[in-house]
Amino acid sequence: MRHTLQPVPAVLEKIVPMVANNHLFSFLPGLPIALAPGQFFEISLPGVGSFPVSSCDLVRNGRIHSCIRRAGRVTEALYNLEKGDSVGLRGPFGNGFPLALFAGQDALLIAGGLGMAPLRALLKALLDGRQTGKIILLYGSREPGSLLFRDELIELSARGRVDVRFSVDFAEVLPGPCDRVLCKIGLVSELLEDLDFVPHNTIAAVCGPPALYHCVLEELALMGLPPAKIFATLERRMRCGIGECCHCVAGGRYICKDGPVFSLKELRDMEGAI
Amino acid sequence: MISSNFHSNPFEHVALGKLFDAIGADRVLWTPQADEDGLCRLERLESMSEGSLPNMATTTFLPLKKLLLPSREEVWTFRAGWFLPAQEATAFAVIGIPLCDLQAVWYLDQVFADDVLYRARRAQAFLVGMVCEPDTECRCDQQLMPLAGDLFVGEDRVWALSSAGETMLRTCSFHAPQEMPLPWPAGVAGKRHTLTQELYASTSDASIWVEEAKRCLSCGACSAVCPTCYCFDMMDEVALDGSVIRSRVWDNCFFAEHGKVAGDYDFRPGRANRLRFRMEHKRFGFGVLRGQNSCVGCGRCRKACPVDIDLDLIAERLNAEATP
Repeated sequence: MRHTLQPVPAVLEKIVPMVANNHLFSFLPGLPIALAPGQFFEISLPGVGSFPVSSCDLVRNGRIHSCIRRAGRVTEALYNLEKGDSVGLRGPFGNGFPLALFAGQDALLIAGGLGMAPLRALLKALLDGRQTGKIILLYGSREPGSLLFRDELIELSARGRVDVRFSVDFAEVLPGPCDRVLCKIGLVSELLEDLDFVPHNTIAAVCGPPALYHCVLEELALMGLPPAKIFATLERRMRCGIGECCHCVAGGRYICKDGPVFSLKELRDMEGAI
Repeated sequence: MISSNFHSNPFEHVALGKLFDAIGADRVLWTPQADEDGLCRLERLESMSEGSLPNMATTTFLPLKKLLLPSREEVWTFRAGWFLPAQEATAFAVIGIPLCDLQAVWYLDQVFADDVLYRARRAQAFLVGMVCEPDTECRCDQQLMPLAGDLFVGEDRVWALSSAGETMLRTCSFHAPQEMPLPWPAGVAGKRHTLTQELYASTSDASIWVEEAKRCLSCGACSAVCPTCYCFDMMDEVALDGSVIRSRVWDNCFFAEHGKVAGDYDFRPGRANRLRFRMEHKRFGFGVLRGQNSCVGCGRCRKACPVDIDLDLIAERLNAEATP
């Protein structure tokens, strides 16, 4: 495939504040961008810069939905835009989650912080596909107020579609709605204790900050999940998305092109990947 | 085994002049030119007067990548709501390229095989190699990888390295091609120190990385002068009329921001990490080029480093320390 590094103009259709410094942005690109869960795209703000981001939902009617944290210069500029403003989009990039592997298997999704965003796209695909067995979601966040998509996840749990368990690092009392799902004060990895699942029939997808990968991935392997069925999606500095600019490389592989989703089996051979 | 046999024709000096005239007829010419500061640079040749063309190759301060992958290259212009493609490249020729640099172009051709901007520029390039005289820092190896280029001019023969080169020779009445090996410098490749991926992977804790990193100034000179280093950043400039030009500009894996993401998490936080990263890239390649050593042995990094860091010597020491 030929690459031009040329974005397509897109309209910023919707901005929904979610939790502090995390808004949900919806874009309608002038040409369709077929983005699968776990893949990512690049948002360009001419004159400011660009950044890579994943979507937090399936592409619907050509619209791409992303949960974006205000974390730097370019996202700051994005937060200053208004509905109807235009941006440039480029993509899709990367491999995405191996959706076919989830058929007939139970799914264990583990999210930390903003890692919930790409896993929500995966969750939507699994729910739409209806080919996955039991779905368990473990989601850890800093405090109850920073849980993304909290009400939606509680609703999914109440309807029995997903076994949702939250953890929060800091909280004195848990707010009312959290009572309806299991919620623990502590690290998300602690939710793995006493978890009822069949390791050899389960596929795991993990997304979160580096610290989450350090503790959870090998832990899952110890619990009996085959390393080839434990997936993590990696974050890196990226300037091209097509395996050229070299910023994202770990273990000799371009995270942008060969990843960003890798199995633990692959990650074990990639020095500095996690 | 990489063959270095190509169609070759003997030539008379007059015929060579005609050949260069034909090459320069509709192309901007670039040649190695010695400057008053003592450096030899690839520069535009303003006129093809007698004696202005080189008769042998020189390892210029900056390699050919400065033409194929310019230090600042426009990617698009944003004007009135549209992202407009960059201007088309113009035809150029480079005369007087050493064989190691032609290998480096082959390598860049693989890296940027799908890159429209690179390919457009590359398609406009006519590359002419020449015999070189290896210096003490040269470590070229014809078995390392194939080479790119169109023609190679030896002492009394000229080789066609591509179909464009063949066509050029035929146009200039060279009609008796013969398969001949290219005159690679002898006895140079043996000076290289090999490094296996296994040894590299098992020596992440070796003290040499930290020792060398203590001297490293993170200036990035090694990577800037390297003919196979290609990492880039993106930069926006706003013009007075409000249009925005986005360019890709050379970046450098020794720079502090290279492995950093938003929120300031750094995946290669120390100079030792960056030094290892560079070694890994040079010796083993990334992505589909994994396993391809891309150090063509031109010696530029050794000469450019202000504190005498030498990847080849690091490889030598890693090997020595691994041997009981």
